[in-house]
Amino acid sequence: MDYFGQLLANGLVLGAIYALTAVAFTLVYGVVRLVNFAFGELFMLGAFLTTSLMLPEVRLFGTVVPMPGFPLPIAALGAIVITGVIGVVVDRIAYRPLRNAPRLAPLITSIAVSVVLQSLAQTIWGAEELRFPQFYLATLEPVVLFDSIYLSVMDLVVMATAVVAMLGLSLFIARSSLGRAMRASAEDQTAAMLVGIPVNRVVAAAFAIGSGFAALAGLLYAQTYGFAHSSMGFLPGLKALTAAVLGGIGSVPGAALGGLILGLVEALGAGYLPNGTAWKDAISFVLLVGLLYMRPQGLLGRPELNSAGRGSLLGGASAAGAGWLQAIFARGDALLARGAAAGTPAAFGLLAVAVIVGLMVPSDYWLRILTMVVIYGMLASGLNVIVGFAGLLDLGFVAFWAVGSYLTSILFVLVLKDGYGVAPQEVWWLLYLNLPLAGLLAAGFAVLLGTPTLKLRGDYLAIMTLGFGEIVRVVAINWMDLTNGPMGIRGIPAPNLFGIALGSPRAQFFFALALAVVVVFAVARLVRSYVGRAWVAIREDEEAAEAMGVPTARYKLYAYATSGFVGGFVGVFYAHSQQYISPLNFSLFENILLLMLVVLGGLGTFLGPFVGALIWIVFLQLALDLPFVQAYPETRFALLGVVLIVLMVFRPQGLAASARVGLTMPGARAKEAA
Amino acid sequence: MAEIVPIIHPTAHAERPVEPLLKVSGLSVAYGRIRAIDGVDLTVEPGRIVSLVGSNGAGKTTTLMALSGLLPLAAGKIVFAGEDITGLAPELRVGRGIAHVPERRRVFAGMSVRENLVLGAYSRGDAMEIAGDIERLTSLFPILGKRMNQAAGTLSGGEQQMLAIARGLMSRPQLLIMDEPTMGLAPQMIDLILDTVLEIRKLGTTVLLVEQNAIEAIRLSDHVYVMRLGRVVHEDSGAGIDPERVKAFYMGVDA
Repeated sequence: MDYFGQLLANGLVLGAIYALTAVAFTLVYGVVRLVNFAFGELFMLGAFLTTSLMLPEVRLFGTVVPMPGFPLPIAALGAIVITGVIGVVVDRIAYRPLRNAPRLAPLITSIAVSVVLQSLAQTIWGAEELRFPQFYLATLEPVVLFDSIYLSVMDLVVMATAVVAMLGLSLFIARSSLGRAMRASAEDQTAAMLVGIPVNRVVAAAFAIGSGFAALAGLLYAQTYGFAHSSMGFLPGLKALTAAVLGGIGSVPGAALGGLILGLVEALGAGYLPNGTAWKDAISFVLLVGLLYMRPQGLLGRPELNSAGRGSLLGGASAAGAGWLQAIFARGDALLARGAAAGTPAAFGLLAVAVIVGLMVPSDYWLRILTMVVIYGMLASGLNVIVGFAGLLDLGFVAFWAVGSYLTSILFVLVLKDGYGVAPQEVWWLLYLNLPLAGLLAAGFAVLLGTPTLKLRGDYLAIMTLGFGEIVRVVAINWMDLTNGPMGIRGIPAPNLFGIALGSPRAQFFFALALAVVVVFAVARLVRSYVGRAWVAIREDEEAAEAMGVPTARYKLYAYATSGFVGGFVGVFYAHSQQYISPLNFSLFENILLLMLVVLGGLGTFLGPFVGALIWIVFLQLALDLPFVQAYPETRFALLGVVLIVLMVFRPQGLAASARVGLTMPGARAKEAA
Repeated sequence: MAEIVPIIHPTAHAERPVEPLLKVSGLSVAYGRIRAIDGVDLTVEPGRIVSLVGSNGAGKTTTLMALSGLLPLAAGKIVFAGEDITGLAPELRVGRGIAHVPERRRVFAGMSVRENLVLGAYSRGDAMEIAGDIERLTSLFPILGKRMNQAAGTLSGGEQQMLAIARGLMSRPQLLIMDEPTMGLAPQMIDLILDTVLEIRKLGTTVLLVEQNAIEAIRLSDHVYVMRLGRVVHEDSGAGIDPERVKAFYMGVDA
């Protein structure tokens, strides 16, 4: 009972923090139907700003800056206001121009905003933790309930703050004029404008309030756990999003309930399950996956809120941007359209160039980098199947990659070599068996996960896949017997063909190139088949596709499974090429990076993923020569984020949209009404 | 900036030349490369009912959406009550006195009838008078009075149309723009709604009407514009217009 009571108290504190962040997600989703992934980072900013304002001095950009040293309440208020303003600015720059753009565009910018904010926070405050200063309430004696449950005064403050903030918000939405305008804008933006509601300002207000809530949650979290760190917002943000979906996204009481449930389940799970603390991060995602099976609209959500998804997910040009910019794009489009028309010859041309480069480049170092380009290009191609061709955001693709890498590594190293003493070169052929086998295994996972989610519209797949990616990562870290845990698996043999080791960087490059040919060819064949036409139809307009008799759920599942297959397939080679894998290789950040590469190179094109990978990985290397980058390596990711936001705002259809495989025949394009 | 705005609103047949309430010249809207409306000129005098008629795709709804600022103009000028409102944001036009009752009603389905009406007065600063206005409107639409706390989405189509009109009137507009107010309604309900249009003029509000039922619209109106393929092809007073000619325009014959 004592133990249970203590866990319950811990769960309530955690639940209060999740609930506050979930409110941010749910409020903005309710008004503009956008999952703003950046709330995790606004949470982090709230923590950093509060901590900084409370300290007498802080190191910013590596130099000591005097700070006011406010008491917690004043610092908190300041942090909430500043974060609210940042939220409004983010909306103005990254989301408002995309209000009428395809749905995928603002989702991608919100991820890019996350990356930018996180990288900037690391640049400003450094990579180390910033300790949360003592506050006098925290030094008081804890309150003891039933002689055994200890609750610090600050724990009570956290819970009380959450309750007051959420009740206040509910009242505000129900009673105030602005709250009413928010509800009206959520229902019908056009009608809201017609009654005289300044919708843009109402949306900005929703962002300000949401960001303030995220900041509040972040500073309470920092206070409870004693630190602020640039990556601290990631996992709580994800959990809060899960809580919001759990409670029914768009519903404020739902967010409160979802947060509370998640906090309690996590605290109790950590306390009672065997080895629970290690697994607690997976619990919430298992809960999410289970819930989406049974009650997709969430506990208190209305089903219609989540069925939005009309219109092309990718198409449409942006009117933003100066004339000269549009002119440059127009010229590029013409060039790309010609390239796309050339199609096969262009692909062979590029392959020839790659072969020549592979033969000519003298340095092993650069050959390794080029091999990485090809690997990332292949992985991005796999992601491109689901994102670029079927128009669905997948944030758990990295899990398929992990499945492939772990399958082959476990078989070769942990089972055959360590278990039975079989030397890898005796079973060299197993690699070639593992390639399709891992692909099938990953595709199997995709079917398992995709079956419940893909029947739904909207952003469920993105959220579900996010959960899946995390589950796989947590399993990889914690199931020591299977995966060797965080130590990873060493000594994975290099690829081998009939006893000839292909370990040299040049051989590996050509091996990768051969696989890339297989991947691109297979994807191209599929996309040009009736399956691919169904994908493109779904991407362009899901409702129209359905009305034309395309069984959309089934074809979305095919796309997800195909993407999973490619992930598993490439994952096998990745493991053999790196010869060492650990859970760190398969973080969500890798997934975001792959997504960015696809967007950079061109969503829905065959070669775009490779172009994106080439640009990025080569830039990553070359930029290392700059002294500024040497001091702040993370700024390269901030730059990538900025490039993507600019790309999405000025050209939401991606750089290479005119080379994209469309529904129309080449000749029909001229007649197409813009 | 305010020019001479005639304060004497109603009623029809003004003998002396009246300053028009709305003057639209050369209005053009493009969807991509296609011009949906091209060089439309309209004049609406205060206290009148003016109709736009024409077959599907003639550009009637596009014209109305451009007037309330929902669509950007490719060219043209909109002068309302003596002021140029061409570039004004839609929510600000409501404050100037233009209310738009959109096609398919678009009431806030999840909110109560009362909340819908209160939202209709969003642009007004006089919170005190809102309750009185709601009362006045319920005498125009008694059924709404009985449904005050019901969610708007649970009303019948005709009731929702009344709510949409009442919501528009809550902003105390000088000009009420109505887009297809009888669409999808039962015959009795159509008569009721069209009677209301006359009522609204009597209260002193000018009406710009798009109505699918051209014959009824002509009967109601003081002035009629006939549109075809994005242009105004004919105009006349309600009494003077020849229904046979209108029919010919519908059929695509240039009479």
